[in-house]
Amino acid sequence: MPDNGSAGDDNQRGVSTKAVEIVVAAAILMLGLVVMADSHRVGAGWASDGPQAGYFPFYIGLILCGASAWTLWRALFAGQDITGVFVSREKLRLVLSVFIPSMIYVAATYFIGIYVASALFIGAFMYWHGRFPWTKIIPVSLLVPVAVFLLFEVWFLVPLPKGPLETLIGY
Amino acid sequence: MEEINSLMQGFSVALTYHNLLFMLVGILLGVLIGVLPGLGGANGVAILLPLTFTMPPTSAIIMLSCIYWGALFGGAITSILFNIPGEPWSVATTFDGHPMAKAGRAGEALTAAFTSSFIGALIAVIMITFLAPLVAKFSLKFGPPEFFAVQLLTFCSFVGLGKGHPAKTITAMMLGFALAAVGLDTVTGTLRMTFGTSELLRGFDF
Repeated sequence: MPDNGSAGDDNQRGVSTKAVEIVVAAAILMLGLVVMADSHRVGAGWASDGPQAGYFPFYIGLILCGASAWTLWRALFAGQDITGVFVSREKLRLVLSVFIPSMIYVAATYFIGIYVASALFIGAFMYWHGRFPWTKIIPVSLLVPVAVFLLFEVWFLVPLPKGPLETLIGY
Repeated sequence: MEEINSLMQGFSVALTYHNLLFMLVGILLGVLIGVLPGLGGANGVAILLPLTFTMPPTSAIIMLSCIYWGALFGGAITSILFNIPGEPWSVATTFDGHPMAKAGRAGEALTAAFTSSFIGALIAVIMITFLAPLVAKFSLKFGPPEFFAVQLLTFCSFVGLGKGHPAKTITAMMLGFALAAVGLDTVTGTLRMTFGTSELLRGFDF
């Protein structure tokens, strides 16, 4: 099993390169299987007037599975030269502190609309990462989405995903 | 050769006083735009297009193309002096130009960049003027087998010249192909890999 600690040249704790390779190769193997399954559903053979629609994606998925299986095998059994830490714990923490709120923001956009979610997102980032005082957070995080709302909904007439608050005021 | 006649006629139009003035203005604006990172030649021409609405068409094209060429050189200026490429294709100028600037030879680096751009552009324009009809006649003979052969060469060279393990290069290539296959198939009209969502009808377009 790959070691998940202080492998390699630097003495920092973090996620080892071998573990990352195994996870990514397994994920892309799954993706290749999905591609092959859907191409088989569409039809991966040869019709009377040429290849069916799923012919090329099927072989693309097959080669994708083969190449990622090769990478997986190499990382699991023949990876003596894959050493080192892929990302150290502090850097991973920094990246995740931006990534996870962004994922929550995208998910929240689906439910409460992009303007309300942007207000919360801007406020949260100003508070956690910018460490601004509340006298600056509240005006900026409220006025910027209002300005963007006016710009897109009222002036440019470009519809963006909206939520229950906007239906309450009639948009 | 009738190309020489057309060239001479073109020069007689381009070398009038007001066209030369437009060239000067265009190159100044172009260098200004090229120096700004992020704003490249194509963006600069698009932004400054409204300037040309009241000009005669030939002068407009002269000024816009001078803006473009000026932007190409402006990108080299920031690459050499600040190690920030102003254009995507000025990245290579940062490799040698910035060390030369740090060693105090910035003027030499700028002159070298300008001279090499000038000679390269001159040769390219001469070649296009005289070889373009021949290349066009040759390219008409390209059919589907030749296109396939070129693309096969491209992708095999990715694997052969890539630094990483070939399995990873092939994985990345096939991932790109798989993403391109999503959406409406243009030959048969069936939907591939959309899984019921209507947003993926057009596929991924980046």
